[in-house]
Amino acid sequence: MRLFTARRARFIALCLLPGVVFVTLFTYYPMIRGTIIAFQRYNLFDITSTPFVGLENFRAVLSEERFWTALRNTGTWVVVSLFFQFFLGFGLALLLRRHFRGRGLYQAWVFFPWAMSGFLIGLLWRWMFNGQFGVINDLLLKTGLIDQRIGFLATPGWAMTSVIVANIWYGVTFFAIMIMAALQSVPKELYEAADVDGASRLRQFWHVTLPHIRPTLALIVLLRIIWILNFPDLIYSMTGGGPAGSTDIITTFLIQQVIGGDYGRAGAVGLLILGLLLSFSVFYLNATRFEKSR
Amino acid sequence: MRTPLLAAAAAATLLLAGCGSGSSSPGEVRLRMIESLTSPERTKLIKTLLKDFEKANPGIKVELISPPLDSADQKITQILQTKKDLDVLEVRDHTAKSFSNNGWLAELPTTEWPGWSDLTELAQKKAVEVGGKAYLIPYGFYERTIFYRTDWGMTQPPATWQELYEAGKKMTSGDRFGYSFRGGKGGADYAVMMVSAYNGEALNPEKSFFLKDKRTIFSTPEAAQAMDLYVKIFKEASPPDSVSWGFPEMVQGFTAGVTGMLIQDPEVIKTVQESGMTAWATAPIPKGPSGYAFQPVGYAGWGATSFTAHPKEAVKLVQFLSEAKQSIAFAKGNSLIPISKQAQSDPQFSQGAWKAYLQAQQDPKQVITIRPVDYPGWSQFLVDSDRDVQALITGKKTTAEVLKSWDAFWTDQAKKVS
Repeated sequence: MRLFTARRARFIALCLLPGVVFVTLFTYYPMIRGTIIAFQRYNLFDITSTPFVGLENFRAVLSEERFWTALRNTGTWVVVSLFFQFFLGFGLALLLRRHFRGRGLYQAWVFFPWAMSGFLIGLLWRWMFNGQFGVINDLLLKTGLIDQRIGFLATPGWAMTSVIVANIWYGVTFFAIMIMAALQSVPKELYEAADVDGASRLRQFWHVTLPHIRPTLALIVLLRIIWILNFPDLIYSMTGGGPAGSTDIITTFLIQQVIGGDYGRAGAVGLLILGLLLSFSVFYLNATRFEKSR
Repeated sequence: MRTPLLAAAAAATLLLAGCGSGSSSPGEVRLRMIESLTSPERTKLIKTLLKDFEKANPGIKVELISPPLDSADQKITQILQTKKDLDVLEVRDHTAKSFSNNGWLAELPTTEWPGWSDLTELAQKKAVEVGGKAYLIPYGFYERTIFYRTDWGMTQPPATWQELYEAGKKMTSGDRFGYSFRGGKGGADYAVMMVSAYNGEALNPEKSFFLKDKRTIFSTPEAAQAMDLYVKIFKEASPPDSVSWGFPEMVQGFTAGVTGMLIQDPEVIKTVQESGMTAWATAPIPKGPSGYAFQPVGYAGWGATSFTAHPKEAVKLVQFLSEAKQSIAFAKGNSLIPISKQAQSDPQFSQGAWKAYLQAQQDPKQVITIRPVDYPGWSQFLVDSDRDVQALITGKKTTAEVLKSWDAFWTDQAKKVS
């Protein structure tokens, strides 16, 4: 019996080994390396000399006005994108839950953006929002909604709106998929019992559906916040963070440090992002746990 | 239990080994080559040249890696940092210094190679620009000219930036604009070009961000004049949307009939020809008030890595691509100024739109400069200056603020290098 248990443990360890190796190689090693670099003068121009500089990179980053602008923009980018993605995704999930002809096809069509790369989406929307040649300006002009072209990506306010619109288009599908899956897990008996009690559709939604899917919602909102914050691809390919830094978020700021060749500063920005996300996650998970125990 | 695991491990090892360079079959050498300025047509052309190389050198196979344009240089850098599995690579003017500094490039032999004497003087000069050693052989040059419409009421091309502004303003009405402004990535380059022209004779062409008296070109009253005019060209002669235009948009603006003038590299000649536009011509870039125009010659070329397992074959490939037949085909295919002396007798490079380059070469006041791409802050400046330019034209920063920060940056860089 003991032999069997030991063999089983060895077998499990062997099965886990590739996973452990990959996670160590591709997650922990870069993380540790990045952390070390954040405390070094590590300029790509000459990486043969990389002395330890203490907190110098952090000091340099935190004293840059651009960093704080990017941080403020990150707030707008995450909150507005999340708000619309969540509510539109919820609405879509409720619609798709119903049975109708061609539902599968429609679902596939709706989920299609999720299969595309952020960079490609950025390029697509960049041309659609183009002030001179873009289809959006053409449509608005032809329908008479505007009488002159709008520089969507050329005007700071419009540029942020444009990248958020593209992000909403992309992210709605994630919420729709996840919420639809959660909705399907609600037992039918609960609705039948609510029907017997004479509860209206709204009351059923409020007292049956919502409490049942709340843990899933809490988790996907957290995941999505982290993903949106870590999603510079779309902004980078749409505006490059411009005009004049008006669409820069903290992760596009990081990319600029990398392109500038200053890996030390980039490492420092990376660690600051990690700290920010960890603090937020701890706070959020505590808050939602409180909600659950209440 | 043990046997399948061992078999799987062995299979994985073989698979990984197969992905790298080395001999894939007995006697066969496999070279890995990476390009940087990728585009589908260009990749196709390089593949044709590589096939010719393989035919001429049985036993050598070349695998070409073509990363997406926007991230290609980062990808190349990452591969170089690992010092593995790369034999030949595209080296650009602004990556040559850092790549050689880090010991990633091999010095190419030039004396025993007959093709060396066929290279133009400019090509030979640029090949050894970094530390006097040939770390790359250029494959062609990018030099800018003005592209202008001849059917929008302009009788002759603008000879100065002031004339460009005035002509552009005249052309601007409704949905039509005078100038294809570049406000997005690479936009600061045009501002620097104007500032250089306005500094005139005082500028040091060998270190073109500095004057002969060692101050930076951004510290003079002439620089402020140039920047003020630069803003006026944007506000009064360019599409408002061009604040975010990069290379594709500015070319599209010209070929789609939105703008009447464009300043760009020769590779655009092919695009304009293919667009169906007929009424257009080219001219040398505009000058400043003192009659000078300055611009660097952009270039890139082929180099070999210092850690290649097949140095002989890698050098052979670089030399093959740099020989007259191949390099002229590549320059033609990409509309580049060629590196081979033999191309001078080729009618393509002395007629039509190409005439402007010859004109510029014959004018002593159209000066080729060397930008401080070998200074440690060069890459950072490229990122920061583009943002500053956008801040300037959108009114978030003043000319004085931008010039002051650029002056401070390059004064500091000069201290670091000296």
